[in-house]
Amino acid sequence: MAILTVENISKNYGQIKALKGVSFSVPAGCVYGILGPNGSGKTTLLGIIMNVLKATGGSYKLFDENATDAHRKKIGTLLETPNFYHYLSAVQNLKISAAIKEHGEHDIDNVLHTVDLYKRKDSPFSTFSLGMKQRLAIGAALLGNPDVLVFDEPTNGLDPVGIAEIRSLIKELSAKGKTIIMASHLLDEVEKVCTHVAILKQGELLISGPVKEVFQENDIVQVAANDKEKLKNILLGLNNFTKMDEVNGVIELSYNAGNADLTSINKFCFDNGITLSHLQLKKSNFESKFLALTN
Amino acid sequence: MNTLLRIEWLKIKNYGAFKILSIFFAAGIVLTNYAVYAFNKNIIGNTGAGAVMSSFSPYSFSNTWQSTSYATGYLLILPAMIIIMLITNEYTFRTSRQNIIDGWSRQEFIMVKLVMALLIAAASTLLVLLTASIFGLLSGSSFSLNRFSHVGFFFLKALSYNMFAVLVAVLVKKTGFAIGLYFIYLGAENFISQMLDILSMKIKKDSGTDLGSIGDYLPINAADGLLTFPDNPLKSLAKAALPTDYFWLVLAFAVFYLSLFIWWSWKKYLKADL
Repeated sequence: MAILTVENISKNYGQIKALKGVSFSVPAGCVYGILGPNGSGKTTLLGIIMNVLKATGGSYKLFDENATDAHRKKIGTLLETPNFYHYLSAVQNLKISAAIKEHGEHDIDNVLHTVDLYKRKDSPFSTFSLGMKQRLAIGAALLGNPDVLVFDEPTNGLDPVGIAEIRSLIKELSAKGKTIIMASHLLDEVEKVCTHVAILKQGELLISGPVKEVFQENDIVQVAANDKEKLKNILLGLNNFTKMDEVNGVIELSYNAGNADLTSINKFCFDNGITLSHLQLKKSNFESKFLALTN
Repeated sequence: MNTLLRIEWLKIKNYGAFKILSIFFAAGIVLTNYAVYAFNKNIIGNTGAGAVMSSFSPYSFSNTWQSTSYATGYLLILPAMIIIMLITNEYTFRTSRQNIIDGWSRQEFIMVKLVMALLIAAASTLLVLLTASIFGLLSGSSFSLNRFSHVGFFFLKALSYNMFAVLVAVLVKKTGFAIGLYFIYLGAENFISQMLDILSMKIKKDSGTDLGSIGDYLPINAADGLLTFPDNPLKSLAKAALPTDYFWLVLAFAVFYLSLFIWWSWKKYLKADL
């Protein structure tokens, strides 16, 4: 079952196209990261799915059905900022959330313990620090133990300990079989917790799929010689690389991880009458792949 | 609807500004009416005007329904402010988003606000009812339901003020701006309305054509225009020069504008990005 299916969603703010025909699907049980730089449309997309923003075009489904209010009650969502009544205490705020969701009222103490706010449960929300507000919002999303959670920048405003706690909480939830949809501009965050990823840039979906496929690790071999054209022709004789590019005057050969063999490349070139002036192995990591995709 | 109202109650029962303004409003009703009551009884009675006005007792039955409704009408900006704050708070705290995210439909969100505005209008009317009865009995007259219709006009005016407050809040979203705009609009419309009434008087005097109190055909003044101070000797003196009040026309305008406020707020909330 797909938890969420987005079909060709677009959103314009006047002249600005915030989303340009985005489509992807979130399978049940995964941790789905929506990754992109600031302003790429992540929150806009989640806002549309949560019915607080109106799409200009396209459609979406929740739980393989046309989305209704009842579907949202079954999803715990933190969207963009912690949204609570400033003059009410943590418990009073959670009572309102639970009443709207129609479940989770008996869960309030429980989630306050989970997000480590139990001691401050009767303090007004306005007295909370940024990190505490964020944790209360995560707590509200956990009310009623929903099977699907949507977290938009969940570690925003948290200190390093808080970040680690939330990440392990997400992993814990995922281990329990929950589906988690998470928007983030932090590559590191997505790399550490997500199983699937969709990358957005300026409202366009660049790529989506399982993390292993999207961020497939590559070996890149940089090669240079005085006679570049001759080198290129000779390198074409090598048949085990996946791609040849020229970057800053250096030829780059891409190999599937672990397949690059510098010795044999060097020998091959030498045997074909060209001497290399540069030969270097470079691993393409998550980050360089992300930068390559978004730049 | 019960569930929605119960949740609304959770939001407001610990809201300080709500309590304070409610107390101001309730106390204001008693004090304002007492001021008019005392002014009429003590001051007019002891001055020259007493000769003309001595037969007039605004707070005996059945004048009391009309006087209380009229005087209390000036305090309706207080519940309107409460309503503006209850709605703009939701935008400030971004709970207007969170309530939808948590599973309310947009219809439910705006519906419960409109119903709150209705209930606050009903509660205001109840206070008028009680105050009018108490002052009526204090005046030593015997109970009568004559001119009770003015309590109905008060309810209509309270509804108009409250629904207009909902509309301004939904359109403006920011508490300070919304309250400011509400007051400025009321002031501006009142001014224009008086100008129009003067124009109507002039037309009546010059050409004999009686257009009525055309100032009362404006959105807020229509509801205002239904409430008048009871007829009294002083008022009768001026009456000849004034345009006629076309009661049914003004009532129709008031109902039309009230429907417009509700319809517009509803449409706006359903369509907007929150």
